[in-house]
Amino acid sequence: MELKLTVDEAAFRTEVRHFLKRELTPEVWQAHRDLNEQGMWTPDFTKAFRRKLGAAGYIGMGWPKEYGGGGRSRVYQAIFWDEMEYHRAPGLDRSITYVPNAIMALGSEAQKADLLPKMSLGELSWFVGYSEPDAGSDLASLKTRAVEDGDHFVITGQKSFSSDAHMADYGWIATRTDPTSSKHRGLSMFIVDMTLPGVTVTKYPTLAGWTHHAVHFDQVRVPRSMMVGELHQGWKVVMGAIDFERAALSGAGLVGYQFDRLLAWCMQDREGAGRKLDDPLVQDELVRLAIEAEGARLMSYWLASLHAKGFKPQHETSLALLVKRETARRLDVAGLELLGPFAPLRTGSPWAALEGEVEVEYRDHLYFQFAAGGFDITRNVVATRGLGLPR
Amino acid sequence: MDITIDDDQRLLRDTALAFAQKALTPARIRELETTEHGFDAKVWRQMAEMGWVGAVFPEQYGGSGAGLLELALIVEALGQAAVPSPIYSTVVEAGLLLLDAGSPAQRENYLPRIAAGDAIMTTAITEPGGGLAPGEIRTSIKPAGNGFTVNGTKLFVRDAGAAEGIICLGRSGDGENDLTLVIVPRDAPGLKLRRLQAAGGEALWEAIFDNMTVDADAIVGEPGGAWPHVARLQLRGAALKSAELVGIGQASLDLTLSYSKTRIQFERPIGSFQGVQHHCAEMYRDLEVSRLLAWQAAASLGEGLAGDRETAIAKAKTSEAMPAVTRTAHQVHGAIAYYRDYPLELYYHRAIAAQAAYGDAGHHRRALARLLREDLGRFRGDSPHDLPVHYV
Repeated sequence: MELKLTVDEAAFRTEVRHFLKRELTPEVWQAHRDLNEQGMWTPDFTKAFRRKLGAAGYIGMGWPKEYGGGGRSRVYQAIFWDEMEYHRAPGLDRSITYVPNAIMALGSEAQKADLLPKMSLGELSWFVGYSEPDAGSDLASLKTRAVEDGDHFVITGQKSFSSDAHMADYGWIATRTDPTSSKHRGLSMFIVDMTLPGVTVTKYPTLAGWTHHAVHFDQVRVPRSMMVGELHQGWKVVMGAIDFERAALSGAGLVGYQFDRLLAWCMQDREGAGRKLDDPLVQDELVRLAIEAEGARLMSYWLASLHAKGFKPQHETSLALLVKRETARRLDVAGLELLGPFAPLRTGSPWAALEGEVEVEYRDHLYFQFAAGGFDITRNVVATRGLGLPR
Repeated sequence: MDITIDDDQRLLRDTALAFAQKALTPARIRELETTEHGFDAKVWRQMAEMGWVGAVFPEQYGGSGAGLLELALIVEALGQAAVPSPIYSTVVEAGLLLLDAGSPAQRENYLPRIAAGDAIMTTAITEPGGGLAPGEIRTSIKPAGNGFTVNGTKLFVRDAGAAEGIICLGRSGDGENDLTLVIVPRDAPGLKLRRLQAAGGEALWEAIFDNMTVDADAIVGEPGGAWPHVARLQLRGAALKSAELVGIGQASLDLTLSYSKTRIQFERPIGSFQGVQHHCAEMYRDLEVSRLLAWQAAASLGEGLAGDRETAIAKAKTSEAMPAVTRTAHQVHGAIAYYRDYPLELYYHRAIAAQAAYGDAGHHRRALARLLREDLGRFRGDSPHDLPVHYV
């Protein structure tokens, strides 16, 4: 056990922090922040920023050297994820976490050669097409069909709750190729170029303010070469990189930032009211939050350490994500309470506290409770896969 | 950075656990709770032979120079197997206190015999006030003749009945921190012991010092200089009790899992119901978080860092979360575990005692709140970030 960063790791953290501070100046923040978008930055800025991450070598830094990666340990990746979240930088999503790792693990040589170099430079945006109107928690019941037709497959169906589909270059689409087989068995995975005829994206506003999307596929012809893995073996692909995505999402930067922001608020000397921090009840609440945040931070670096030592944590990644997101939700709730009458004031309102971010995040982070598994499904996964309880 | 234990530490934990789980039957553990000393001397001797009693002492005293993290792994295993032992009194308290503050002669005299399992020693610190602050100490240690006279009442003295000597904390001057430690032989005239009947596996005693006299060389450390040593002792105890609580939680979860896989109701194992699965997932979640916090606390104290923040976080969390795990374990078991012949009750009781030892959750949150008010930098740990003061 080594509780502190090594000299190299600490230097890397400083480098990333300087990079993020340099790139995300208050002026940039002012110009490109957009609360009507998921991730809260404009799509154009998110894409441009992702290319900067690529140019700086951050996207592929943990990839094996054979795919143009930097071969750095997962501890460095965890530091990077941590800092990205703390600075609320855009672009830390499936396009640089889940999809490239899934392609490395399960893609064809041609797919790797074609896509990975571009992805390491941050040039591609993806949406993941798993959920459907009738297939959410029970993902394996999905109905979107892919029918073989010569050297193509013809895809017809609908994907829903599709984050960032409106800005995606490609879809990562789970389809049913064998309608006679049950559930997990007859699925196949495709990479779908979003400019193909027959693809349409529909917007749905969320209560968090940004729009989510449904994607319709109307007889979209996809070359067989864009199938990932083998025919009818799509479930393996779905599960293949999920642990990596969850590890990336379980970074502790968000929680650290939420805590620091509340702490800063409590240290304000408010005219007539003094400092929140001088209230013993507030101190106790902050202490309780700090304890939970420290737990989330340790879980995240514990996962990274396990990976760095060559272990392959699986349900542990789900657990770490659960701990992080539950802690974030606790901080959201505590934020409402600590802000008192200022809590409902929205961004841009006169007298908005902490720029209205607590209210925005209290709504936005609702998705933590149901996305990427969500709290209840994650508890199912931990209980069955982790603790061996019967299904 | 590496937030895992290494292969040697894993082996130590597995070996200690395998030993502890075989050392005593549940019936014998219950029987020991009714005996005067509360532990099995043969098991203690075996633990010494395995090198665990002396592990944290330097080789010159018969130890192996292991760190506090190793000791934490040992107490985690003992907690998981509910094996009572004088490891807190003798090693965590008196032994490491003597290593920390004792004279060369005192170390030579006690530490090799402690490491060999031949000497049980303890400390007497807490008083009827019940707190851990130096200002609460009323016991007096006054110069008299060639030595000192000790007067006062101490509570929660671990293993006093079995100890060869008790290291007693008393007031030797008017300043709040003017405190001194003396070693008192257990059979000295003027010392009265009374066993407390407490939940959990530890033998706790009241010790009344009634005009008891000790020689000048009974002093441990500098006269008036005891407090920093005692404060470190309390941190050590808290960090290690956090690890023990993790062992208690692990055992409770293990019992719950095996019961839910085999108990059939409505023609299904109850573990197939999501209500039960979610209880188990929650227990596991808090257990894994607690384990990392406890390891961090022991490792940071062992590395000679201040460790007060990490220890307070660990003990505050484990003192709430692990008793909650034992309660949820009972919830899943239902009536069967309400009976004394089902082993879960051992952990239910031990959690009561362990959450109270070396400061409960409130005590440690109060310590963190003090850091928050007085030393924000340390409260925030190693945070590399400036506070987002643009909001302020």
